[in-house]
Amino acid sequence: MKFTTRELTTLAVFGVLWGIVEMSLGTVLKSLNIPFSGAVLASIGLTVAMIGRLYVPRRGSTLFIGVIATILKLFSLGGIIIGPMVGILSEALIAELVLSLLGQPRRRWFVIAGSLGVAWAMAQPFVTNPLLFGRSLVSVWLNMLDQGSRYLGIDTSAAWIIVVLMIVIHLALGTVAGWAAWRIGQELQSRTGKKPTYTASTIEQPSKQYEG
Amino acid sequence: MRADITLTYRRPSQASLGTYGHLAIFGWVLGMIMLTSGYVVIVAGVLCLSVSALIYPNPFRRILRWRWLIWMLLLVVPTIFFLGEHDSVFAGVTYSSEGLTVGLQIAVRFIVLIIGLQNLTRAVDISSMAGLLERFGLHGLGFAVGVALNLLPALETSAVQAWYTLKMRGGLRRQRWRGCQLLVITIITNALKRAEEVSLAAEMRAFSPEKSRPFPIEQGPLDRASIGLMILTCIVLALVHLL
Repeated sequence: MKFTTRELTTLAVFGVLWGIVEMSLGTVLKSLNIPFSGAVLASIGLTVAMIGRLYVPRRGSTLFIGVIATILKLFSLGGIIIGPMVGILSEALIAELVLSLLGQPRRRWFVIAGSLGVAWAMAQPFVTNPLLFGRSLVSVWLNMLDQGSRYLGIDTSAAWIIVVLMIVIHLALGTVAGWAAWRIGQELQSRTGKKPTYTASTIEQPSKQYEG
Repeated sequence: MRADITLTYRRPSQASLGTYGHLAIFGWVLGMIMLTSGYVVIVAGVLCLSVSALIYPNPFRRILRWRWLIWMLLLVVPTIFFLGEHDSVFAGVTYSSEGLTVGLQIAVRFIVLIIGLQNLTRAVDISSMAGLLERFGLHGLGFAVGVALNLLPALETSAVQAWYTLKMRGGLRRQRWRGCQLLVITIITNALKRAEEVSLAAEMRAFSPEKSRPFPIEQGPLDRASIGLMILTCIVLALVHLL
């Protein structure tokens, strides 16, 4: 994973943008206990990261952006909690895997990467809570049902409806993230006078967008 | 002045540890709370907190904030009432003793983890962390983090200005989605312009991430000992856990 100076500065920009979103909006959303705040944050962060992928279309660039955002979040004042950090890294890793494995980038791959990345926000407590805090999977499940019931106004006895609705909401947010990333990325590139660089010839080579 | 003294003060034991040492202490804390179960977690937690208090100044300052206490209650309280049978009564409220035990373990793990992470981030500076990750394959991360830190205040100002400009011109009254898109585009364009300047300046000075040396990592005389302690503890606990 070796990038040129220009690619590194571009990745730094997108890492900072994700970091700012997590440090400012993340703190506000978590403090106000807004429903689905994790999914909203993940979708905004992934939008930024995937726009970054359009600018630096190389393997590892999305993960690199995630690592920068994680470091900024780790060292932000008053923001030390393991959940968001694991979240940022995992979402970046999922998006990176999808975008790297699916080959020729398309809008639909961005949508899939966004959906899976945001869906991780729902699955994450099932991994981190038992592993780090020793909570049982049952209590995490009950907590999720309780949250879903409050947010959606459905009785907890309709467990599967709550879960399905929550999954749909997460996937929908991820879809919007992927779609928005593609659209904003294309518009941004046309406005800044840079043609879309995400073509088959540039996947494995350093970006040529600034050269010449 | 007083704040400066507080920030730069380091205990002798903390000064004897370098980046690897602090990471090893954090790894040790993680191992202690993750590889133990039952009431041993509480003993492990107390041990971790005692070591933290010996090494780091004011280690418990941040955990006493309302925010963390509410987070901890959110993690612990459901366990007390939803896990196991309600077999005990306190002040007329029935609760599960099994849930209380598990809740206590969760609380200990939460406190120890927050304090461990807080101590790590206060002891290790951001460039050392970047330098460490660079040595593990993320080449150029030190430079990128440096640029990111440099960009942070400028970007925040630029984002706030773009937001107020859009709001004052009524950009969010109609076509809100379009307004949001334009906001994002403006912020990123400004940021990319700034990044272009930074990369030009770096290239003018003949900087190349491939040829540059990774950021230096602070080293201390107790680093190896703490790494050894971490590995030994994790192996012993893992064996006990398996057997």
